[in-house]
Amino acid sequence: MYDNRHQWARKIGFGFGPEADLPSNLEVWNHTQLHNKFSVIGVSNRGAGPIPWPSEYNYSLEDRLKKADIYTHEIKRIEKSKTIKKEDKKRLIKNVRDETDVSKLDIYRFWNSAIYGEDMFQQRLTHFWTNHFTVGGSGRRNFVLGDFIYRVIHGNLNSSFDQLLYEVTTHIGMLDYLDNADSVGEKSKAFYAAKTRGKTVGLNDNLGRELLELHTVSLARGYTEKDIRGAAKVLAGWGVNADNVIRKYQKERKTKPGWPVSLTDFIAEPYIRDRAEPGYKTVLGQKFSSGAHALRNLTDMLASDDHTARYLSKKLALHFVGEGATDEEIQIIYGAWRKSKGDLNKVHKATLEVIKNTRSKKFLWPTTWMFQAIRISGADVMPGFNMKFTKKSELSNEPREILKELGNSFWTQRQPDGYSEIKENWISTEHLDRRIKMASKIFTAKPKRSGEEIAEILDFSDRSKRSIKMASDKRSKFIIALCSADFMEV
Amino acid sequence: MLTRRHFLSGTGAGLFLSGYPVHGFTKEAVSGRIVVLLLEGGMDGLLAVPPIGDDNLLKQRKALVASKALKINPLFALHPNFKTFSKMLANEEASIIHATSFPYTGRSHFEGQNVLQGGLLNPFSSKTGWLGRAMGIAKITGKAMSLQAPLIIKGATDYDNFYPEHLRNARLPSAEVLKLIQDTHEGSIARAIDKLRRSSKSMRGRRGSARDPLSLASEAGRSLREVDGPKVAVITIPQFDDHAEIGSDTGHHPELFTLIDNAFDNLRNNLQEQWANTIVLTMTEFGRTVKENGSAGTDHGYGSVGLLAGGLIKRSSVIANWPGLSTGELYEKRDLYATIDYRSVCAACIEAAFGLDHDVIAEEVFQDKNIPRAYTHIFG
Repeated sequence: MYDNRHQWARKIGFGFGPEADLPSNLEVWNHTQLHNKFSVIGVSNRGAGPIPWPSEYNYSLEDRLKKADIYTHEIKRIEKSKTIKKEDKKRLIKNVRDETDVSKLDIYRFWNSAIYGEDMFQQRLTHFWTNHFTVGGSGRRNFVLGDFIYRVIHGNLNSSFDQLLYEVTTHIGMLDYLDNADSVGEKSKAFYAAKTRGKTVGLNDNLGRELLELHTVSLARGYTEKDIRGAAKVLAGWGVNADNVIRKYQKERKTKPGWPVSLTDFIAEPYIRDRAEPGYKTVLGQKFSSGAHALRNLTDMLASDDHTARYLSKKLALHFVGEGATDEEIQIIYGAWRKSKGDLNKVHKATLEVIKNTRSKKFLWPTTWMFQAIRISGADVMPGFNMKFTKKSELSNEPREILKELGNSFWTQRQPDGYSEIKENWISTEHLDRRIKMASKIFTAKPKRSGEEIAEILDFSDRSKRSIKMASDKRSKFIIALCSADFMEV
Repeated sequence: MLTRRHFLSGTGAGLFLSGYPVHGFTKEAVSGRIVVLLLEGGMDGLLAVPPIGDDNLLKQRKALVASKALKINPLFALHPNFKTFSKMLANEEASIIHATSFPYTGRSHFEGQNVLQGGLLNPFSSKTGWLGRAMGIAKITGKAMSLQAPLIIKGATDYDNFYPEHLRNARLPSAEVLKLIQDTHEGSIARAIDKLRRSSKSMRGRRGSARDPLSLASEAGRSLREVDGPKVAVITIPQFDDHAEIGSDTGHHPELFTLIDNAFDNLRNNLQEQWANTIVLTMTEFGRTVKENGSAGTDHGYGSVGLLAGGLIKRSSVIANWPGLSTGELYEKRDLYATIDYRSVCAACIEAAFGLDHDVIAEEVFQDKNIPRAYTHIFG
């Protein structure tokens, strides 16, 4: 694996395109993959070379929440309006949709980064952690997903796990997705106020449960329902649904003269004191006092738990090494985690070292496979960020639609355990139908490398080379190369 | 209002009889069909089939009870959105199993779904599903109506999946090229490509068509109607994990009830004469808490409800060994107890549709010879 630079770049990233300068020293290249900061690049129009990603498309969380607010409330206003003519309503609603569609550009950035970006290991890590901390997309949450992926996940790759965990847990997208925005402490002011009005409010344990089961210690820790409830109590008060943040802030400011925070502060710490549960809470035997800071204490405790280190070391190995990862390999990552107390840079470095020496192969997720296919073949598929509202993609479908077709999009509704790391879960006639058809579509986008060339640079087995040789035309050879066992698994 | 009903109540002892000690097939050839509706996320069984005769229902739940539930018998009613299903009950072609679950109390979606599909008591201990194993023994084919092949159907010697693609200008290469791709693979991938290669366009269903659960139910019905077609279909209906704003008369959970109801309707309409040989059953990984939470939803629980419909049912029943809803009667003082092992229900469906003997199903499909036989209660 490590002998072939092309294969190495596939194992940890997306591979090298026909025009790439191959690294002369892999150790140096690996170091840059771990430590360097890379600028985001993308193409403006189809056929154009990659340029820096336009700054006007780097939306802050505040920009996104304002757009979510406009989207939800402006469309409702137009729909209900009695003064706007019926024939104008459709057009006006479409305009609002187009003007607020930040996720379209987020998805373009996702594709451009994978196809042209130099930071391929950091991107693969971003995909891994985004999947680990799943925020199911669709609707209002799609406005904030780009911020979650790029600012929180990508932005914390060289940070510590406790910092990443805290930022993920307090992100509006996560608080919305796992219903914490609706959770109210059952001894809180808001609880009693609601009771007076004859309304029922109370705790929602969804985020508390998944924080333990999926994000940190896992079921192996042997916690109880009381621990889940304790975590839910610590979490009560955190969060507002993504399309209501602006209005909630404005309302709080009006009704509470002492409300001291700015909108920016509120977005950074969306904590509503009146909803918080007063008094001490207990999780896994540890007591947590009242107040916003208790959540940081909780996430820190969970981040430092031995079960978290074990669970995530294994998951990293499964993702990069594959299902054949040995106990020794997992132990190396775990050892680095414990020694560094969850320093992600050190954990990722240990993961990279394990990948260097492994013989195991990983069956690639459909999107990873597709990005590798586009990148390595040099096919020109991106419609360009300046063409974002036209349907001129070389692939005939919008990038968003293709991710969905492959069953592997971060921008669709799904369960909080994320996409599977297990090969068998990606094997079905329909899944293979999509990959083979995508390979055919990529060929339409004028790849610069042929099937034979791909097989040659990636040291395909004789078996795969034989199949490619036996095909009669270039398209078939190309499809066979991309859909061969040698390309799907690395 | 139903004209006839068969409601079992009382203590659990003797509720189910043990199976007859006859091994192998009980019928000559398999003519039955099984359709599984996987209700992903944990359906609130108390909202779907409220036990209106239990005084503790309204004490435990203030809001999450439909105001105009359809009364089935003195104890149970049906959410009004189950319009078709209520007619099926009246027509003696549907049954309800209440206070039931697979024996899993962990309240994790992912473990629960794995147990529900794998059919073994330890989560993640099986690489095959209970339905797939039963299909393997009965030597029949089946189809999952989803992009992935779910665990429940794995283990069959022959299964496929169907999920219409929406890629524009996309086509598969020739069978010869598919064979060359297949030759580079081994195992399950090679088998899947082989299936792709051998299936004609019409066999793979209509491309570009809708892929919502209702359209997939219609497609499943059409497939199962064919004499040489599959005998099993699995349809997933997601998003039951309603922790907030679940709805009582209207809202998200009631909308999902309508979806289930319409799925039953679409299956019956498209199965046509084969409806008489079919059993459709719902499955969900767990029920939800008896009390509503603060956000007008319910959290992960234990016991729930199973809905069964199809021509294989000869007499409608509500089958339950009702555990009660007072706090002391709840599992860990929060969840509806499951007093009927839903594996028994699945086993009865296999027995009715595939003609396998109960003991064979218990030992080889669920790997637990102590599973009670529920066949006579549901299909007798």
